[in-house]
Amino acid sequence: MAAIVLDGITKRFGDGTTAVRELDLSIADGELMVLVGPSGCGKTTALRMVAGLEEVTGGTILIDGQPVNDTEPRDRDIAMVFQSYALYPHLSVYDNMAFSLKYRKTPRAEIRRRVGEAARILELEPFLARKPRQLSGGQRQRVAMGRAIVRQPRAFLMDEPLSNLDAKLRVQMRAEIARLQRSLGVTTIYVTHDQTEAMTLGNRVAVLQHGVLQQVAPPQKLYKRPANLFVASFIGSPAMNLLEATVERGDGGPQVCFGTHRLAVGERAVREHPGLGGYLGRKVILGIRPEHLEDATLVPDAAPGSVLDVQVELREELGSEVDVHCRVGVDPLHPVADGEPGDAAEEIEPLAAAIVARMDPRTTLAESQSAKVHVDLAALHFFDPETGASLRAGG
Amino acid sequence: MTSHTAVVARRRVRTGTLFAIMCVIAVVMLYPFFYMLDNAFRNQAQFARQSGHSAVSWRLLFTQLPVWRELLNSTLICAISILLILAVSTTAGFAFAKLRYRGSGLVFLAVVAALMVPLQSIIIPEYVNLGKLGLINTYLGAILVYVALGTPFATFLMATYYRGISDDLIEAAVMDGLGYGRTFLRIALPLSWPALATVTVLQFIQIWDDLLVGLLFLQNPQQRTITVGLAALSSGRTTSIPVLMAGSFVSALPAITVYLIFQRHLVKGLTMGMGK
Repeated sequence: MAAIVLDGITKRFGDGTTAVRELDLSIADGELMVLVGPSGCGKTTALRMVAGLEEVTGGTILIDGQPVNDTEPRDRDIAMVFQSYALYPHLSVYDNMAFSLKYRKTPRAEIRRRVGEAARILELEPFLARKPRQLSGGQRQRVAMGRAIVRQPRAFLMDEPLSNLDAKLRVQMRAEIARLQRSLGVTTIYVTHDQTEAMTLGNRVAVLQHGVLQQVAPPQKLYKRPANLFVASFIGSPAMNLLEATVERGDGGPQVCFGTHRLAVGERAVREHPGLGGYLGRKVILGIRPEHLEDATLVPDAAPGSVLDVQVELREELGSEVDVHCRVGVDPLHPVADGEPGDAAEEIEPLAAAIVARMDPRTTLAESQSAKVHVDLAALHFFDPETGASLRAGG
Repeated sequence: MTSHTAVVARRRVRTGTLFAIMCVIAVVMLYPFFYMLDNAFRNQAQFARQSGHSAVSWRLLFTQLPVWRELLNSTLICAISILLILAVSTTAGFAFAKLRYRGSGLVFLAVVAALMVPLQSIIIPEYVNLGKLGLINTYLGAILVYVALGTPFATFLMATYYRGISDDLIEAAVMDGLGYGRTFLRIALPLSWPALATVTVLQFIQIWDDLLVGLLFLQNPQQRTITVGLAALSSGRTTSIPVLMAGSFVSALPAITVYLIFQRHLVKGLTMGMGK
């Protein structure tokens, strides 16, 4: 097992593209750290630098306190699971799993024991004599995992290992990986673009955009206390609703106003977002998670100043809940993925007027209907429209 | 119903026409072989009147001419040349396809450019160079020329093949503890059977059937290859066509055998890079 520290690492390619910028990340011994972000955000490049497959342009990678920038991949004692599984097609499942041990001069009996043990854990025993092409996608994925496990490395690196599986198998394998990682206790860096995978697997999740670390936190904190607009909009599905609003002083404390709507956010919002006090009379970006919007008829004690008038555009039945797409009388804002890093204001497109509410399935709201939607005022988010930074206390 | 019958009839006519065309092509392709084999089993008189068969030409071929020696020379030169071509082209192809280093694109371009140079334009400089090195009339001289001529195409073919092998596979081997050398030997090389077979067949046919290089660089009768031997036979004052036909058949047999053995891999190797 090992602690891995990325100390200001940067990767600049020959064509001048900077894939990773001064990334600082500390992964504790036995921790499962997920790197998540949209395509091209630098997460795979960061992983490949840890593996030694990509040279580091700047900064230092430390494994157990030892700098490894100049250490060959084979000498880092790290196992990697690739997106394509990268199983050797001409070797049997057994030989694939035993491959690295053979070249590390492990005694034959020990190889048999370790491969047997991994095959038992991964339920691969009936397939040991088969070639990879004779296996299903899920079985191949398990062989790739087995190949990493038998080495008993100091750390696992996983590069989107579930992305080639169908949705059902992905959920199964996700649980399998989480269970294995916890039972083995091996430090793991897991790369994915799927925020659900990131949230369900990681002890902590690091969100990257344009090679810059946006926030690193446990999944719940990331969801409940996003550090900026990018994290707020990237984490969560459906994405957080973002609206430009003005902060004004009302009778019962501060209010946020947009269009004809006034939400009486009260003093509690100021306590939780100390920065909000300084925005009186100024614009902020208001964030509302879809699950914090509810059909007002299902909230009998809805306080005044917590209801929005909307026009229902689309109703999506999900079984245990209903996603209702509405239009509000104000221009909402949506993040755009390819803006410049840190320049949150440019990432906003003040065009669409749609918001999404995740409601109780008892709601009777139907398409083309005018309705009232209740907002959970205790769960609002506020961001600076210029920097995109959260106004919440402690980020 | 009528329309269905018409469609079936049209399809039959089309298939029949195609079959007839293929038959004509097959006859055109196979007739020389038939002619060669038919006349190899005649003596001079039988050949002149085109009737009757005998094995006298075969006896003459194997008793009075150094065919065994020439076959051995051809085999030796072919085998060593192909081994060297494979050794150079697989390693170079792997390096071009999988290793990142400054100027690799330029070097690869130079290799591809070498493909465009016709043999005839470099044969005299080659002769002069080998003469300076004292390698005329030596096996090594001919082998070096064949290797120089065959390597660019083989390298191009191998590089194309290795490009088709996933980078992940190579990196997985590196992560598993192998250096690039062992990754090449244990992973890339075993996976490149179709390409190796393609290079082997194409180079075998090229070298085995070559006359020009053998004629120029192996003038000593002891070192002649089978094609040079046959050429010498046909350039005499009195040429026995039946003996020449028998010799031609013996000469063609190894190339045909090699092709038939590797045919399956050859098709795969030649269509590589054309999709999944």
